[in-house]
Formats: sequence, C-alpha cells, structure tokens
Amino acid sequence: MLSKRYTLIAVLLTAAVLLSACATAATPTAASTEAPSGAATLAPGSVQINGAGATFPQPVYAAWTYAYQYVDPAVAINYQGIGSGGGKKAIIDGTVDFAGSDSLLKDEEYSAGKDLQMYPVLAGAVVPIYNITFKENAPAKPLILDGKTLAGIYNGTINMWNDPAILALNPDLKDYLPAEKITAVHRSDGSGTTELFTKALTSFSTDWKAGGASSVEWPVDKAGNGIGGKGNPGVAAAVQNTPNSIGYVELSYALSNKIAYASMVNKSGATVAANGASIASAMADFADKFTDKLTNTIVDAPGAASWPIAGYTYIILHSSSSTDCVKDQKLVEYIRWTLTDSGAAKIASDLGYSVLPEAVSTMVLSKLGEVTCNGAPVLK
Amino acid sequence: MQKAAARQPRKFPIVARIENLTKHGDRVWVGLNIAMSLIVVISMLLIGYLLWRDSSGTRQAFGLSFLSPFVESSWNPVDNKFSAWPFIYGTLITSLVAILIAVPLSVGIAIFLSELCPQWLRTPLNLLVELLSAIPSVVYGLWGIFVFLPAVITPLGQFLGNTLGTVPVLGSLFAGPISLSGSSRLAAGVILAIMILPTISAVTRDVLLAIPSSQREASLALGATRWETISRVLLPYGISGILGAVILGLGRALGETMAVTMVIGNSIGASASLLKPGYTMSSVIANEFAEAVSPMHSQALIEVALILFLMTLILNIIARLLVWRVARKSSPGARA
Repeated sequence: MLSKRYTLIAVLLTAAVLLSACATAATPTAASTEAPSGAATLAPGSVQINGAGATFPQPVYAAWTYAYQYVDPAVAINYQGIGSGGGKKAIIDGTVDFAGSDSLLKDEEYSAGKDLQMYPVLAGAVVPIYNITFKENAPAKPLILDGKTLAGIYNGTINMWNDPAILALNPDLKDYLPAEKITAVHRSDGSGTTELFTKALTSFSTDWKAGGASSVEWPVDKAGNGIGGKGNPGVAAAVQNTPNSIGYVELSYALSNKIAYASMVNKSGATVAANGASIASAMADFADKFTDKLTNTIVDAPGAASWPIAGYTYIILHSSSSTDCVKDQKLVEYIRWTLTDSGAAKIASDLGYSVLPEAVSTMVLSKLGEVTCNGAPVLK
Repeated sequence: MQKAAARQPRKFPIVARIENLTKHGDRVWVGLNIAMSLIVVISMLLIGYLLWRDSSGTRQAFGLSFLSPFVESSWNPVDNKFSAWPFIYGTLITSLVAILIAVPLSVGIAIFLSELCPQWLRTPLNLLVELLSAIPSVVYGLWGIFVFLPAVITPLGQFLGNTLGTVPVLGSLFAGPISLSGSSRLAAGVILAIMILPTISAVTRDVLLAIPSSQREASLALGATRWETISRVLLPYGISGILGAVILGLGRALGETMAVTMVIGNSIGASASLLKPGYTMSSVIANEFAEAVSPMHSQALIEVALILFLMTLILNIIARLLVWRVARKSSPGARA
C-alpha cells in the first residue's frame, strides 16, 4: 500500500521535473533565434506594455499581440479583458498604459483623466443567432429579420415564430416557421456587446424604451420569455439548448463556433449578411460624422451594403502626460501598425472584425501624431 | 546558565525583563494569537464598513424600498432605478430548495457511512463523497447546462408544473411551463443541493463517528433495535453538530455564484415560480460589476453585496444561537 503510493509520487515528481526541464530548455533557443532580427538596442520583451478593458475586441488584440512579437520583439503587450468600465477606470487611475473600450468616455471621465484620447482601431458586429425547430423539409436559408422585428422580439411584443412580421420577412421560410413561443436570450453580464445591440434597437424602433447601455432592464424578461446567459458562450449555450430561441453574440464568436446567424434588412431596405465588408460599409457611411473627440456611432447605417448592428472599439491613451518615452513610442508604433499593416487587417477580418477604411484611419493616424512625451512628439 | 544567573544583579533591570519575556515565549505567543484573531475581527468590520460607506448614494436614494417586495421590482441601469428584491428572493428560494433536498439526503449518507456501511465500502464511499466537494463550481455549471438540465430538470419541471402547478396556493410556486432548456430557480436549487451535499454529509458523518460507542452499546443493551438506536440516541446526541453542518452548507448555498449564474437564467421576471428563470444576489454582482460604469449602478451592486453580507451574518448568528440552545438542552458533551 505504502510503497505503491511512493511509486506514484515518484512518477509524478519525475514527470514534473521532466516537464520543467523541457520548458527551460525551450526558452533559450527561442530567444536566441529572435535576437538577431530584433530591434538594435533593446532586448526581446524588454518593453512591457500593459492594457486592460473591453472583451469585445479581445480576440483580435490577442492575435495582434502574438503577431507583433515578430514585428518588434522588444515589445511585450499584455491585455486583460476586464470590461470597458474597468479599463476606463484603470487608465484614469494610471494603472495601465492603454485601455480598450467600446463605450465612450463621459465628460467627467475626460476631466478626471486630464489628457485622455480615444482612438478607434477597428469595428465589429453583433449578430442575432437562433435555434428554430422548423417544420419538415424547410429550405436551408438563413432567417431574415429587420430592426423593428428584432426590437419587437426583445420587447416581448412579438412572441411567436409565426408572427406576421416574421413571416413577411421570410417568404422562403414562411410555411416552415413553427407556431411556438420565442425565448429571447440576452447577456446577463454587463457588456459592450449588449451596449451595441441595445443602441441599435433604440435606433431601429421608437417602441424600444429600455435604452442603450452595457446592461439594461429587458422588457422581455418582464414578459417572462427572457433568459440571461453569461458571456458569449453563455448566450450561445442557452440558444443551443432552448428550442425556438433567439440570442445575440459577436460576429467573431458566431464565426469561430460555427453558429447560424440571421441576416438583417438594413435601413435602405436591402438584406445584408454580417461580414467584414458590410461592417466596413457601415463605417464608410459615417466616415464624416466623427466628433472632435474622434468618436462615432455607426449603428443603423443607411448604405445598401451596411450591416446595421456594428460599432467601433477604441483604444484610450494619455496623449501628453506619459513620462516613459520609450514605452510611449513603442505603444504608439504598435497602434500605428494595427492601423496600417495589411497582415493586421487580415487577422482582424479573419476573426470577423473590420479595420478602419482609409478615410478614417488617416484621421486616426494624424491624431496619433499629436501624442507627445515630455513635450516632444512621439512618432517620428 | 548557572553562572549567568549568579551575575544577574549586575544587569540593567530592563534587559533582564526583556530576557525574561523572550525566554518565556508564552507571552509573545499569546500576543501573536490575539493579534491574529483581531485581524479577523477587524477585517470583517472593515468589509462591512466599506460596503456601508460605498453604498451611501443608493441607500439615500431608495431607502428601504430597495429591499421591499411590494414596490414594483426594477433593475434599470439606464434610468438608475434599482430594487434588490428579485435577487434577495432568488437567493433565498434557491438556498431553501437546496437545503430541503440536501439535508435529508446527506444525513442519510452520513448515517450509512458511520453506522451501517460495511468496512470494505466505507473508504471508497467516503472518498467519493469528499471528491464531490472538490469539483469546481464552474464544472457543475457546465455539466448542468449540457447534461443535467435537459435530462432531469426539464422533465421534472414539466411534471411539477402539471401536478403541483394546479394546486391553489402552492401552484404559484410551481407555475409553468418550464423553459425547454431547464434554466430556472429549481435548476439552481437542485445544483446547489448537489454542491452542498458533501459538506453536510462529511461533517455529519464526523459528528456521528465522534459519539462515544458507550452510547450505542447502552442503547443496544436496553433492547433497542439498530434503527431505534440511530433515531432516538445518535441523532439527538449529535443534533447540534448536525445543525452546524447544515449551516455550513447553507452558507455555501447563499454565496455560490458561478454554477448558479450558469443555470438560473439570469432574468428578472415578474413570476415567483420555481420553474421560471430568476436571479440571485451573488450572480448579479458577478455579472454586472465589471461594466457598472455609472456610480449609481455600482453603488446599487455594492448595496446588494452589503445585504448579502448582513444576511449571511444574521443567519450565522441565528444558527449559532440555535446550536447553543440545542447543545444546552441535550448532553453537555455534544457541543459543536
């Protein structure tokens, strides 16, 4: 009995030692291959840049961070998805070097943070996902919704799948939609995804009274047909497990998990699918509508090819009060890379996001040029 | 040593005193221990004070209506209208369901393990029950969403809705239909019951095992059957300990967040039914705190935390009093 136990412990210990040996052996080789290609003066990973904030763009930031190691090995970026609110608080308190946020800074936050500046870096989309038990032999076509219907579903006023409004939008499916109740799934956690979605609903329909925010009071909950799921995975799981339900997730999440999502009829009356092109079209529609703080809302865009539930996500920086000029320069260079590099753009579009159209990125780049450290411009 | 003692009068008195203190480690040790226990008390008071201070805005704005079940319940971060009743109700009802299911089951398990179980089965069974408590709650949640809810809760909920749902008064607690995914207060209660089962049964088992065998022998010698010994001697003897075990379980049920959030549906509905989705206090804090941008919203969440804190505190005090009372009534040896 005892000897057996010791053998087990010995085996485990050996395994642990071997594993750690492998790990330590791997590091020096990796470092030595990267060293010659790196920046001339700085050791690999010597500039640590910390960011925190929105989870909406986190998949892209993670992929960009990984790719950027090969562009500038001196820079190590660490981004924590703690939510837009947490990110804004962290940049105001000065505990991070940059923040990610989907929601805009308020006036009091601008005054608390002195020299905060928001830079749009990319845009993403939110898509309705659904799980409908169609009648037999239904054609394999995506469901089509328009803004008013979507708002009606989340208002609890449209509560059956064979509601005339839904039937009218789906001529191909109208004989196959079941006479079943709609369960509407929403995010239970406060989220930029919810903010984008509810802002779009506000713009779609005057009947949507709950407002647009990262968490709202859902009318459909009061009607007794709402369920909240935690995070994109929670919403997706609830939709998949609940027959005849609808939910909303980020396009990137629906793509990477191969979940069916609905097409939308946009403001111009055209039916569009969510993808990089339709997000870019929404950005282009509003390219001249930027505020002097460099912020913009692009929901319910008028263009024929525009996805109606799209939004910018921003990086927030201190634009003049940074004192570590090396770090500041590396950070601004990184943001410039995300805006201009074709590889960065491809990473974003593969993940279901879209980088800025040229008209917008030129504007952001010129604003980036205004970042100063100890009075001197950071970008040369 | 003896030489040093002989020279002692030459030393300054203060040095001798310090030496005396350090030589007799007891006092230092006592001081350290007092400091440790004070840290516990102080940190608890500080937590309470901070929660109280940081929720001043909502306390002033809503007063007692924040807690009231009678005002129209709303949790609206857009209009800054908050009331915590739906969450308080959700926490209480799910914990109650959990306790109602878990207590008979785990006392049964404990009796079997300590009194009836054959020796060869005891160790593996003990291990299994204790392993149940080692499973992270997020795993319970995932298992709940994908396996337990569709397979057990949905049919159970449909059955309860069709039978108890038609009874006049009780029916409001079982008004269906349950959502086909099973997300409901009932689901949260049952998952909680499974989660607190090992805590209650392990402590109860230890309480029963700690009862001196003279008690069992005396009872059997008087001609009592095994069942009579268990029900009339052992359970009354250990009742204060068992109550303590139940309180431990209740404490875990009240504060449990992750698994509950994953199965309860996170929805503030108007219905009080067990078969409808609900929301608990810990879930709403975990869900919304990260993105609670407006000061009122975060203060409202902090006030919910304060209520949860006070609720567990009061429950624990009541439990403690209960245990003392029971212990005083029964034999003095069985203090928990």
